[in-house]
Amino acid sequence: MNGWTVTATVALAGGGAAAVWGVATGPLRRRVVAQNLSTTLACPALLLLAQGYRRPSYVDVALVLALLGPIGTLVFARLLAEDLHEDPPIGLTLTWVAVAFSAAVVAAVCAATGPGRAMVKLLVTGALMISGSLVASRALARGMPKGGDRHE
Amino acid sequence: MNDMLIAVTLLLVAATATAAVAARDPVRQALVLAVLGVALALLFTVLQAPDVALSQLAVGSALTPLLLLLSVRKVRRRGRRKGRTE
Amino acid sequence: MSRRVRLWLLALGGAGLAALLFAACLELPGFGGDRHPYGERAVRESLARRTANAVSSVNFDQRAFDTMGEMTILFAAVLGTVVLLRQTRDEHRAQPAPAHVAPPVRRYALITLPVALLVGLYVVAHGQLSPGGGFQGGVVAATALHLLYLGADYRALERVRPVGLYEVGDALGTSAYLVLGIAGVLAGTAFLANTLLPYGTFNTLSSGGTVPLLNAAVGMEVACAAVVLLARFLDQAVEIEENAVGTEESGE
Repeated sequence: MNGWTVTATVALAGGGAAAVWGVATGPLRRRVVAQNLSTTLACPALLLLAQGYRRPSYVDVALVLALLGPIGTLVFARLLAEDLHEDPPIGLTLTWVAVAFSAAVVAAVCAATGPGRAMVKLLVTGALMISGSLVASRALARGMPKGGDRHE
Repeated sequence: MNDMLIAVTLLLVAATATAAVAARDPVRQALVLAVLGVALALLFTVLQAPDVALSQLAVGSALTPLLLLLSVRKVRRRGRRKGRTE
Repeated sequence: MSRRVRLWLLALGGAGLAALLFAACLELPGFGGDRHPYGERAVRESLARRTANAVSSVNFDQRAFDTMGEMTILFAAVLGTVVLLRQTRDEHRAQPAPAHVAPPVRRYALITLPVALLVGLYVVAHGQLSPGGGFQGGVVAATALHLLYLGADYRALERVRPVGLYEVGDALGTSAYLVLGIAGVLAGTAFLANTLLPYGTFNTLSSGGTVPLLNAAVGMEVACAAVVLLARFLDQAVEIEENAVGTEESGE
């Protein structure tokens, strides 16, 4: 147990509870935001765990989540575009907090790792997660075609 | 303290899984399932099984929601066409 | 059987199962202990064959036959889906109109697509070294292709996805695994035995004997299978429509 895993525990207990509550209750527009929040939060948590356990290879899990998490949110944005167009998503503040947390975690883990190939992988993971989360939020808020796949 | 981490992730999994069972609408259930996938991946990582965590993420975060929502869309389109022809 | 008898039967079966599970739990080793008889043997074997990721060694070397079963399950499931979701006689295809996605989303999809494909290949290739392997990497690569649908429209995806080729790839991946297994028999040892190739240098890409090759076969099979599976679902959800006016009941 060290500072890394303690931070991960606190982040997961707080943010995880918020995400689960958000996705399990309330209107659809808040649930999709909570789903995006869950991946944006889990990715830095996985980086913290990899650092805390001293297992650099665990970064792969965070990398795959940074790629597939936003794709999952884009799936919801695309296929629920009609429902979301009527009332656009709310509660994006927490997503911004999670994005800032991601950036801080990536910076801290990079500083602890030192320059090298491992750091490049961390930076790629961070860039994918942050850009992915922001783009997914944008897609949820009217970024997708309204009619879905209409026919000619 | 490591037990604390295991307890937190286990509670997250239990809460999300209960919510997934309790959700009646398939669309909302797909959303809860996506979050459940992430929670499970965290639990597997905490239990030192990153291979399983990767499998869970690969299947649960984009592939399963896509399959579920495509099925919902097909059923809805069918219902709409039926409604129009009647 | 009346409802009452059935309920009693269910209660009896449930109680029996609960008792057995409880008895089994009493004999389990403690949570998180430091003695793992199977783990110690598996790790010793995987180190002897210079496979850094012991889980990959178990999956693709010590228990490669089980993995063949799992791979065949996926293959059979996709085959079943292809048969069930085919276009029937009373259905036709309607071409979806081009969709207009917001520019940042489109840009993100087009930039991430090659990155995701690369990550998929990386996960497959490093299966013997770090967490991951054929299954995980294959799914990532297959998901990556569908960014074209999310970031543009279904036509764009269809252009880079000749389903026929992916069906062939699916079958080829499955047979490559079998061929590697039979090669072991022909070489004079056993089916799927890891004796064909030199074990290489520990913790490099070319280590672990046949493990990377089997990983590649599974990666190809899974990637193609996921693409074919999603293609059938997408066809049904986006393109295929029933012919109008009650023709759907006439076939019964």
